[in-house]
Amino acid sequence: MTDVADEANAHPGAGASTATSLPTGAAGSAITLRAAPVKSRRRGMGSGPRKSLEIVFFVTPALMVFLVFVVWPVIKAIQYSLFSWKGYGPLVDFVGLQNYLYVLKNEVFQDALVHNLIIVVLSIAIQLPLGLAIALLLNRKIRGQGLLRTIVFVPYVLSEVIAGVIWRQLLTANYGLIDTVFSALGIPTPAQGYLGDTSLALGAVMVVLTWKYLGLAVVLFLAGLQGVPEDLYEAAQIDGATYWQVQRRITIPLLGPTVRTWVFLSMIGSIQVFDMVWILTKGGPAEATNTMATFLYSWGVERNLIGIASAASVVLFVVALIFALTFKRLVLRRDAIDYEPRKTRKAATR
Amino acid sequence: MARFRAGSAVALGVSVAMLLAACGGSSDQPGDSTAAPTGDATEPVTITWWHNSNTDPGMGYYAQVAADFEAANPGVKIEVEAMQHEDMVTQLESAFQSGNAPDIYMERGGGELRTHVEAGLTMDLSDVAADTIAKLGGSVKGWQVDGKTYGLPFSIGVVGFWYNTQIWSDNGLEPPATWDDFYAAIDTLKAAGVAPLSVGAADAWPLAHYYYYFALRECDEGVLTDALANFDFTDQCFLKAADDLKTFVDSEPFNEGFLATVAQAGPTSASGLLLNGQVSAEMQGHWEPGVMQGLNDGKPMENLGWFPFPAIEGGAGDPAAAIGGGDGWAVSADAPPAAVDFIQYLLSDEVQTGFAELNMGLPTNPAANSAVADPTLGTLLEFRDAAPYVQLYFDTALGTNVGNAMNAAIVNVFAGQAAPETIVSDSQKAAELE
Amino acid sequence: MSTAVQDTRAVYPPVTRRTRRGSIFRGGNALVYGIALVVVAVTISPVLYGVISGFRTNTDLSRNPSGWPEPWILSNYSGVLTNSRFWGYAFNSTMIALITTAIVVVAGVMAAYPLARYEFRLREPLYMVFVMGLLFPAAVAVIPLFIMITNDLSIGDTWWGVALPQAAFALPVTIVILRPFLMALPKELEEAAMLDGASRVGFFWRIVLPLSGPGMVTVGVLAFVGSWNAYLLPLLLLRNDSMKTLPLGVADFSTRYASDIAGIFAYTSLAMIPALLFFLTMQKRIVSGLQGAVKG
Repeated sequence: MTDVADEANAHPGAGASTATSLPTGAAGSAITLRAAPVKSRRRGMGSGPRKSLEIVFFVTPALMVFLVFVVWPVIKAIQYSLFSWKGYGPLVDFVGLQNYLYVLKNEVFQDALVHNLIIVVLSIAIQLPLGLAIALLLNRKIRGQGLLRTIVFVPYVLSEVIAGVIWRQLLTANYGLIDTVFSALGIPTPAQGYLGDTSLALGAVMVVLTWKYLGLAVVLFLAGLQGVPEDLYEAAQIDGATYWQVQRRITIPLLGPTVRTWVFLSMIGSIQVFDMVWILTKGGPAEATNTMATFLYSWGVERNLIGIASAASVVLFVVALIFALTFKRLVLRRDAIDYEPRKTRKAATR
Repeated sequence: MARFRAGSAVALGVSVAMLLAACGGSSDQPGDSTAAPTGDATEPVTITWWHNSNTDPGMGYYAQVAADFEAANPGVKIEVEAMQHEDMVTQLESAFQSGNAPDIYMERGGGELRTHVEAGLTMDLSDVAADTIAKLGGSVKGWQVDGKTYGLPFSIGVVGFWYNTQIWSDNGLEPPATWDDFYAAIDTLKAAGVAPLSVGAADAWPLAHYYYYFALRECDEGVLTDALANFDFTDQCFLKAADDLKTFVDSEPFNEGFLATVAQAGPTSASGLLLNGQVSAEMQGHWEPGVMQGLNDGKPMENLGWFPFPAIEGGAGDPAAAIGGGDGWAVSADAPPAAVDFIQYLLSDEVQTGFAELNMGLPTNPAANSAVADPTLGTLLEFRDAAPYVQLYFDTALGTNVGNAMNAAIVNVFAGQAAPETIVSDSQKAAELE
Repeated sequence: MSTAVQDTRAVYPPVTRRTRRGSIFRGGNALVYGIALVVVAVTISPVLYGVISGFRTNTDLSRNPSGWPEPWILSNYSGVLTNSRFWGYAFNSTMIALITTAIVVVAGVMAAYPLARYEFRLREPLYMVFVMGLLFPAAVAVIPLFIMITNDLSIGDTWWGVALPQAAFALPVTIVILRPFLMALPKELEEAAMLDGASRVGFFWRIVLPLSGPGMVTVGVLAFVGSWNAYLLPLLLLRNDSMKTLPLGVADFSTRYASDIAGIFAYTSLAMIPALLFFLTMQKRIVSGLQGAVKG
């Protein structure tokens, strides 16, 4: 994710000319500094122990809050996964890895994993081109640009619960608004309704998920588009490129880092998706739209099998971790965040 | 000096304790007094009480009941919490897990109760509330574990078919006595273009009730009770019931889109469809009229009738038995004795009568039967009291693990995604996790 | 850049029609506006459905789920607005969201700073610890969290009891967004400050913080909206009716067996307004904030 940003820094063309605006004072002294040769000195201000103290000072608040309220409950949850426990009374029935075996061998969980993968792939496949197209559209200087951006982001700001309730109403078989409109237009609607048909339900859920989260993609891409320097467009224009040529050759490649960040967030979000699916279908009908998270809830929490729920959540975590690490390795090959990147990058930008 | 003081302090303390113990014994009044029992609580006691009547008139009524009890029992304070039902269930779960359970809470009985008892969370009422238990008679069966009673049921209803009398009479139909009659009626209705039944399959349990009833009709009472208590579904009657269910599903009696229809929330719910005459009947519990009233801005549905689940030819179960359930008051294991007094007061003739008059449920105290105003609910009440036994909904009786597994399998059968035998096999598999 | 452009130049004379800077993006032809209209329609109609349904009676909704309100009634909306509990819930939601946001922004920017601009051996592992918080489903962490907050820390039923865990779960995303933003500030700034004799802490306080304004606004808005819409954690932690937040208030409209659906629509339509307003006022600064993050 952040490696992405550092990649952008490494591009001489993109990064240099559009740095964040600086207060003039600092900029002034920065310029002056450039002119004079800089003696090589120890990187960073302050010496060892003082530096460690400063690091500790800065990181501690976030780390404390994080350790207490996130890490510790997660560790407890992992502990629960090794027991057979109904949630009440003492934790006594140690079963080792039995819960994990149960979860991994469970056909419904395996289907849920497949559904998650489908959601990951489809989310990216649908939202990437769509988001890009809309972002390009909104990048033009049309009237009401600010208002349009806000409107596109509204579904994302809406609470999942409300969005789910509304869409459930819209997708009701026969009487819902979608069915009514489709019938009026002569489009055939499924007998059980979109959310009741086991072969169509996942598709319907995808439509709602796209509606809900497309706004984030658009806003992220828009932000990335703002970062493409005008000079490049000018140059291309002078060379006589058409609009589409410009987009294809300049804009989209430079959006690379943005797109990669978004793909990462989308992937992790798709693996963990719970709220929207739960409210729309509870994982149904007949387990057709289960995700790992809804499985965890309906087979674990609702059945008071806390050990199983915890084991399923650890599996979910491992899957997400595998995706995250693989993504980091394969896609963000230029790992610019290692211990001594600064030398190489500085050399590149000079 | 200090020793002298300490000594007299100890003496004082011991005598106060003895006094309290003496008074505490006499405060357990028999449960059939109609006035709030008075006790000699010399120490201030606070009792927490959670219930799910979160709108008026129920909320106001219970607040009044609590106030009456406090007035008659000086020193006792009742902290009432009225919560929306689903929220209450969620909060109760975490309260149990963290050890902060309220003194008085609602129990549905069956396997859920068993889990709480096994974790030592609930108080045994067999002795301290013996009189009330005797008054309630057979209805406490669902709230017993190993012969001991842990809850006092205050509302029990049965599941049956609510139907639109207008539509049925227009098609020349009468409430069916056997399933053959019912299938004939279904065919007639479908031929007339009316969807015979609505069902809230998205919530699973409305569909599951069909299986419970088929099993109830096919299985002998003793067999059924044992099977539910021991999670042992090997008896043939359960498979037979599953096959009956498949036949029923194949007759396609439901509204379109039933797999995604919710039970009672909103206009396109199963109850909403019945209300608007879009289906002719729905099998539901005793709360159905109240639900439809809520969907209709307070106006009851017109032309509403009720008939029980038809009999099956050759079934080993009693055709007059019913599937039902309800709520009972239970007391936390570490609650003060005043809490037991209070729940006995809640089951008193006076409180139950008021409960029935306000249509808050179907009372279990026989003295309050005449107070039920709605005639259709009155029919239900007669049927319930005349039934040889009322079997608790299977998912409640089995507990959340096996119960949910069974419900999920039933939905799969309805969706055509699984063979009927999976109902038995999935339940059996889930039982292994117990 | 591309051979296509060069070929174009070779074959056709340079096009001089468009001469204004940035004018390759000029406007609005009908197609663009048309597509924009479709996008707006698809995005907003479900929300409008919810808002309009608030003007109907339940009977009307039952008889005709997809039609226009008939009659139009204001009582659902007015009922919500005149209910003092609604305003109480709104107040609680606001306070909790503000506290959460404050914690997230302050702790987040403080933690992102050394992760961005210091070099030390534990930097990447520490960063990964925060990132892993993104990967674990919160639903399961809830049980032990609840036990800890209510029993061990005894801050259940307070604003801080809800704000602290919410902030904790929002920290990973915050740090992920803020770190590249802070990394983008040129190294020269630090060297300049050093020359002027500032300490690292002073540098942070006087230079980095003001410069990360847009970034902090971004993560602040995301944290605020997340807290505003949160349901499960407040449900478990806020018992007392006077402490509840807006999402919990929906329960007032349902009993065990019935729900006032029209009322729910009215309530939720009103409940989303503050979050939307907040986003509206901040949206310009968000865009520039995210720009820094993704571009570096």
